[in-house]
Amino acid sequence: MALPNTTLTGLVAAATVAALAAGCGGSRQGSANDDPNADVTITFWHGWSAPSEVKAIQANIDAFEGAHPNIHVKVVGNITDDKINQSLRAGGAKAPDAVSSFTTDNVGEFCTSHAFVDLTPFLKKSEIDVASTFPKPLQDYTQFDGVRCTLPLLSDAYGLYYNKDAFKEAGITRPPRTLSEFDADAVKLTKPDGDSFSQLGFMPNFHGYESTTTHLVAQWSPTYFDADGKSTVDSDPAFPAMFTWQKHLVDTLGGYDKLEKYRSTFGDEFGSKNPFMTGQVAMAIDGEWRAGMVDDAGVQFDYGVAPFPVPDGQVDTYGKGYLSGTIIGIASTSKKQNAAWELVKYLTTDTKAVVSFANAIHNIPSTNKALESSDLDRSQAVDAFIKIAQNPNSTTTPASPNGGAYQLTLQDVGYAYESGKETDLQGSLDRAAKQIDTDIDRAR
Amino acid sequence: MTADTAAAAGPLDATSPRTLSGRPSRRPRPPLRIDLEWIALHAVGIAIGLVFLLPFVFIALTAVMSDQQTLTRDLWPKTFEWHNLVDVWKTPGFTTWWRNTIVYAVAGTVLSVVSSFPVAYALARFRFRGRGLALGVVIATMMLPPQVVTVPMYLVWAQQFHLTGTLWPLIIPMGFGDAFSIFLLRQFLLTIPSECIDAAKVDGCGDFRAMLYVAVPMARPGIAAVALFQFFYCWNDYFGPQIYASENPGAWTLSYGLETFKSAHHTDWNLTMAATLMVMAPVIIVFFFAQKAFIEGVTLTGVKG
Amino acid sequence: MSTSEAPGQSRGWDTWQVRRTARNVAFLSPWLIGTGLFFLYPLAATVYYSFAHYDGFTSPELTGLDNWRYVFGHYPMFWPALRNTMWLVAVMVTLRVVFGLFLGLLVTRIRLGAGALRTVLYIPYLAPPVAATMAFAFLLNPGTGPVNVVLGKLGLPEPGWFNDPTWSKPALTMLALWGIGDLMVIFMAALLDVPTSQYEAAGLDGAGRWATFRFITLPNISPIVLFAVVTGIIQTMQYYTQPLIAGRVASGVIGGSGQQFEPGYPAKSTLTLPQLIYNLGFQRFDTGSASVVALVLFALSMVFTVLLMRRSSGLLGDGEGT
Repeated sequence: MALPNTTLTGLVAAATVAALAAGCGGSRQGSANDDPNADVTITFWHGWSAPSEVKAIQANIDAFEGAHPNIHVKVVGNITDDKINQSLRAGGAKAPDAVSSFTTDNVGEFCTSHAFVDLTPFLKKSEIDVASTFPKPLQDYTQFDGVRCTLPLLSDAYGLYYNKDAFKEAGITRPPRTLSEFDADAVKLTKPDGDSFSQLGFMPNFHGYESTTTHLVAQWSPTYFDADGKSTVDSDPAFPAMFTWQKHLVDTLGGYDKLEKYRSTFGDEFGSKNPFMTGQVAMAIDGEWRAGMVDDAGVQFDYGVAPFPVPDGQVDTYGKGYLSGTIIGIASTSKKQNAAWELVKYLTTDTKAVVSFANAIHNIPSTNKALESSDLDRSQAVDAFIKIAQNPNSTTTPASPNGGAYQLTLQDVGYAYESGKETDLQGSLDRAAKQIDTDIDRAR
Repeated sequence: MTADTAAAAGPLDATSPRTLSGRPSRRPRPPLRIDLEWIALHAVGIAIGLVFLLPFVFIALTAVMSDQQTLTRDLWPKTFEWHNLVDVWKTPGFTTWWRNTIVYAVAGTVLSVVSSFPVAYALARFRFRGRGLALGVVIATMMLPPQVVTVPMYLVWAQQFHLTGTLWPLIIPMGFGDAFSIFLLRQFLLTIPSECIDAAKVDGCGDFRAMLYVAVPMARPGIAAVALFQFFYCWNDYFGPQIYASENPGAWTLSYGLETFKSAHHTDWNLTMAATLMVMAPVIIVFFFAQKAFIEGVTLTGVKG
Repeated sequence: MSTSEAPGQSRGWDTWQVRRTARNVAFLSPWLIGTGLFFLYPLAATVYYSFAHYDGFTSPELTGLDNWRYVFGHYPMFWPALRNTMWLVAVMVTLRVVFGLFLGLLVTRIRLGAGALRTVLYIPYLAPPVAATMAFAFLLNPGTGPVNVVLGKLGLPEPGWFNDPTWSKPALTMLALWGIGDLMVIFMAALLDVPTSQYEAAGLDGAGRWATFRFITLPNISPIVLFAVVTGIIQTMQYYTQPLIAGRVASGVIGGSGQQFEPGYPAKSTLTLPQLIYNLGFQRFDTGSASVVALVLFALSMVFTVLLMRRSSGLLGDGEGT
C-alpha cells in the first residue's frame, strides 16, 4: 500500500505544532481602559475558608456593592496560591480580576513576573500616599525591588496563647518572657497519659500548625538575605540558635516520635477541634485571628494572650513577634482593571471597611487611620497583637523572586534536624543557603 | 476430555473452577476430603477475607461516630450519628462534585468508545503498511504516564483556549480515541470470525456498514467491558481534575473534592469517612450488576485473547 | 500484502488502492488526530521546553543544558524520587505479584465459598484511589487509627505509618496489596488455563505438591508472571495519586498562611517522579525543569514498554482481513 499512514500522522502533527506555536504567548494582556462607571462584574478571589471569615468578607463585599451599585463582585474563597498562580498564567474569562493571598513572600514573584499590575498609576490617580496611609512593615512586604504590585489587606501578628486555667493548676503566675522560662513552663504543663499525653505544654514539632520555622525564628530577629540578595541562613546565628533550642525542647518534652504521634490526634487547625481549643496543648503560637475563633467556639477555659518569649540574651526586645498579612492585587490579565481598582481601593483604604473587617475576623487593621479608629474593637487580645505589630523589633519574612521556595528549603532543614535524621546542623544550613541561592538565580 | 473423565469431574456448581468467560469447567476434581489441608486452606481464606473487609467496616463505623469520638482511640461508636451520612450531602459542593463526575464519566465513556471502535476495527481487520507501528504507538501511549505530556498541554489549554477551570480539557481528548480502549477492543475484535463480516460484504455492505451492523453487535461484551473500564477510569481520575479543574470549585470532581474535603470544611475524620464511603459505594454497587463484564475485561488485558 | 498489481502497472494508484487508503485513514482518523495533538505535539514541546527557561508568563528563551544540570545536580527532590521508585519496584511490585499468585492459587483451590471470597478479595481494587488512600490514612493514623489501637492492645509497637519515613512506603505497599484484585483475577485465569493433562501426568509419575507447582504450574503461567511484573513496573512509574494524598493528609498541613506543604512527606519518603513534574510545573512554574523530569519518566516507561512488547508478541495476535 502506497502512502503509509505514518506520513499522514507526521503531517497532522507538524501542522498542529505550527498552528499552536504561532499562537503561543498571545492574548493575555489585560487593560485598564474599562469605564469604572459602567455596569460590570468582576471576580475576586480570596483565601479565607473558616465560616466566620467567609461571612465577614462577604459582608465587606456587600457594603462595597452598596456604595458602587454598578460593580458586581463574584467572590470565590478558599483559594490557595497554587491556584492563583495557575489562573494568572491562564488568563481568560474565568481568571480573577482582584486577588488576595495570605502568602506575602509571593509578592516578589507576582511583581517580577508582572502577574499583578503595578499599582502606582492607580494610587496616583486616586491620590493615595502610601507612606502615610500604611504602617512601614506593611509597606515593605507589599512591594519588591521598587515595584509596588500589591497593597496590604489587614495584617497578622503572631504571639503566645496560653490556657490560664492550666497555668493556675501548674502554679504558673504569669506568661513566660524568656525561652528558658518557656521551656520550664512547657514541662510543668505537660501531663503524660500512658505513652501519650493528656495535656502537652507546647507542640514544638515543625508540622504543628503554626509552630513553623519562620514563625519561631522571628523571635531571634533574623536576616534572611544580605544586601546582594544572597541567603544568610548559614551565617546568621539566629538560625542555628533557634533549631538548637527547638530540638532541645522536642527532646525534653518526650522526643520527636512521641510528639508526632500525639500530633496525629489533633483535630483540624481551623475546625472546632483545634488542639489549643480542646485543651490538648496548653500553650500555642498562633495569629491574632485565633482569639476570635476561641471566643466563637465557646471554650470552657480562660485563656490569655501575650508576646511570644524571646531568647534569654534578648530580654529587652520582649514584645516582638512575627508579622505577616494578607495582600491584595489586580491581575494583569484582567480587562476590568479600573473596576477592580475600585474594589481594591475600598477594601484597603476605606477606614470603615478596614475597621469592620478587622473586627469581624479579628485581624489587625492595616491602615494608620484604622489603627486609631474609635470603632476598632479593642479587646484585650486585639490590643496585645496591635502592640506586637507596632513593636519596632517585629520582623517579617522578605519577598523573593521565586516566592516562598526559600522558606521550604529552610523548613526542610528543620524537619530533618528535629527528627534526628540530620545531626550536622551547620552543614545542612550551608547546603540550604547554597540551594536557596541556586533556586533564586534560576527564577530571576 | 473423554466422557468418563467428564463424568468423574462431578457436578457443575457455583464453586466449580471457572474458565476465562466464567463458565464452570469440567476439570476432573479429586474427591472432597475434609482434612488438615482443607481446614488450613479455608481458614487462611476466611482470615484473609476478613482482613480485606475490615477497612470497609472501620470506615463505616467511623462515619457514624460523633465529632468528639473521632479523635479518640475508640473503635466502636458510642452513639450512632446516622445523620453524618446525610450531613455529608449538605456540605457545600458535594452534590456539584457528583454531577461533575457523572458528566465527565459518561461523556468520556461515550466519546471514547465511539471514537475508539473504528480504530480498533481497522487495527484488527485491515492490513496496511505501518499497522505494526500503529499498534506499537497505541501500546506506547497506553503505558505512558499522563504527567509526561501534561505541562505543554496545560499551557495550550490555558493560554490558547482558556478552558482551564473546566473539565473540557479532559473530555475533549476522549473524542479522539483512547489507547486503552483501542487495545482492548482490538483484542476482542480479533476473536470475531471473519466469515460474518465477509458475508455482509458479499451482500454489498461497505466496510463502515459492515462494522456498524455486524461487528458492533457481535462485540457487545467487549464494548461493555471497555465502557466499564473507561467509566471507572474517569470516575477515579484524580490527576486530570487536579490540573484542570482545581481553580474552579464549581468544576471539581469527587476524587479531587474528597481530598480537599477534610481541609476545606475543617471537619474531622467522621465526616471525611462518611464522604469516602459515599464515593466508594457507587463503584461497588455497579460492580455487583456488571461482574461478568469486569472480569472479562480484566482478563482481556492480561491473557492472550 | 494483497495488493493485486498487474505486472507492468507502475505509476500511480489505481482506484481501488486510493479507495482503500482513504478507508484506512477514515477509520483511523480519530486516533491519528488525537495522537498528533495529544501525544506527538506535547512530546515535541516537552523536548523543546527542557532546553528553555519558561515560567508561563514571559516567552521561553533557550538556555541549553541548564535545566538538565539543575535537575540532575541541584534539585534536592530528584534523586530521592528515583530511589523511591527503585524501592517501590523492588518491594511493592514483587510483593504484589507474589501475593496475587498466592491468592490466585488459594481461590482456585477453595471449594466452600470460593465465589464470595473472590468477590471480597476483588472489591477493594475497585475503590477509587483517593478514597482508598484517605481510608488508609485514617486506618493507619499513628495516634487514633484502628490498626495502631489494636497493635497497642496486643502490646506490640505502634509504627508511625504515613508519618514515619521508614514506614510510609510499607504503608503504601499495604494499600497496594489491599487492591490486589486485578492481579488475583489474572492469575486465576492463568492457573485455570494450565492443561489438566499435565497435572494428570505429574500425578501418575508420583510428583509431590511442590514438584508439581515448580515443574508444571510455574512454567505454564510464567508468561503471565512476566506480564504482571512488567506492567507492575510501568504502573510504578505512574504512581502519583496515592503517595501524594497520603503525604498531604498525613502531614495535616493545610497550606494556609506561612505554611508550605512539602512534597513527599515525611522527609521525601513518598516522593515519586510524577509528583516532581507537578511540583516543578504547576507549583514552581519551572516549565523547563518539569520537562526534563517528564523526559526521564518517558524514557524509563518506554524501556519497560518495549521490553513488554518484545516478550509478549503473542499478545498482539495477527489479524486477518483486508
